[in-house]
Amino acid sequence: MNKDTAVCPEYAARLSSAGDLIRKASNEIQRKNLEKKNLVWLELTGCSGNIISMLNGANPDLKYLITQMVNMKYSNSLMAAEGEAAMEQLMNIGMEDYILAVEGAVSTKENGIYNIIGRWKGEPLTALKAVKLLGEKAAHVIALGACATHGGVSAAMPNPADCVGVQAVLDKKVIKLPGCPCHPDWFTGTLAHILLYGEPELDQKDRPLLFYSTLIHDRCPRRAFFDKGIFATKLGENTCMFKLGCRGPVTRVDCPIRKWNDYVNWPIQDDTPCIGCAQFGFPDRMEPFISYNTTREG
Amino acid sequence: MLKSERSICQKMKHAIDDAEKRIQLLYTSPCIYSRYILLHDIRSCMQELRLLCNAFADQDMQAMGPGENDRTFIQGNRIDLTEEELSKYTGKGGKPAYVAINGTIYDVTGNAAWAAASHFGLTAGKDLSKEFASCHAGQQILNKLTAVGKLIG
Ligand code: SF4
Repeated sequence: MNKDTAVCPEYAARLSSAGDLIRKASNEIQRKNLEKKNLVWLELTGCSGNIISMLNGANPDLKYLITQMVNMKYSNSLMAAEGEAAMEQLMNIGMEDYILAVEGAVSTKENGIYNIIGRWKGEPLTALKAVKLLGEKAAHVIALGACATHGGVSAAMPNPADCVGVQAVLDKKVIKLPGCPCHPDWFTGTLAHILLYGEPELDQKDRPLLFYSTLIHDRCPRRAFFDKGIFATKLGENTCMFKLGCRGPVTRVDCPIRKWNDYVNWPIQDDTPCIGCAQFGFPDRMEPFISYNTTREG
Repeated sequence: MLKSERSICQKMKHAIDDAEKRIQLLYTSPCIYSRYILLHDIRSCMQELRLLCNAFADQDMQAMGPGENDRTFIQGNRIDLTEEELSKYTGKGGKPAYVAINGTIYDVTGNAAWAAASHFGLTAGKDLSKEFASCHAGQQILNKLTAVGKLIG
């Protein structure tokens, strides 16, 4: 923890929120007060960025999560089984209680034929069919990343495979963790909260308030520059990047506090404007990501 | 005092009481998430007060007669523009960023949600009444923007 966060109790509390929940859940599991739950991780139309982001998790890491807190039943990237054997594992989950995590958008064109996630009993299984089948029976559905929460990059113009977010094909509450990718803490913290206390408090767009309660702009260390009208005119200047097109003022998430890559840095600290990757409508509605042809001073 | 003025005053009093109650609660609330909810409520009270203040001012204006209700425009600098003229105020090349909503032109150059003169895929220099209605119906946004003039022609 650096000295900026050490001095502010709000920052300290928020920075440790996910870790505290995970440790508490895992203690309760060890004391047998709490049962491990099954977790199914579906990867649909996307770039695998979210599972990679999870692998980068720290304090605790993903290995701890999938061994101490949940029974990881299916993840095409992490499991040893492959082919029909893997599908067998996925389809047999239907009888049990499980939490479903989904990354990637749902391709709906021509009944989902543009994304086949495997073959089951000789038939191709589309992402659309899989998410409907598993989503309806899951105890909780968590959509992580831009694509799963609202279509994201997969649904960007011209959206050739008619991609949509998970909510658009499911008739039940989907907890949404937007971000491109999702921060490991946003997922692991939400999961630990579900194990301990059930669904966390969500905002009107079904994002957990634990992580999505403040605008980047409201916690940005460069906010004083914005308020004083001191703006960067090119990348590399360490003042407010509003004139370059920073989307911090419309993006609600805790990056300024939590930061990335083991809590060490984040785009604005590295002189790059926020591109609004955790805002619904990213990427199309957050463009342009950078603009040098700017408004007048002041 | 007019009857309508009395009712505005009454509502203002309620909004202030509401805000005060929540400020008291803020001191006693140990959880940061409840504090955010309270802050959010206080902001709503402020918006209500702002609206009521405007309603009060409008009454004054009506009392002064027609033609006097241009108080929201930048003093002495009112610029009325046609749609074509408006299209030059794109916020590019050092120009200010203006948008028209329901016949009034607003300056969004320094508005935080309009970084680089764009907002959720929309760009400045246009009449955005329809887009505004589809996303911000019922929200108190316009009274916080600086009005520069009317859309004419
Ligand atoms: S850099 Fe972006 S988030 Fe930070 S103060 Fe400026 S506009 Fe706001």
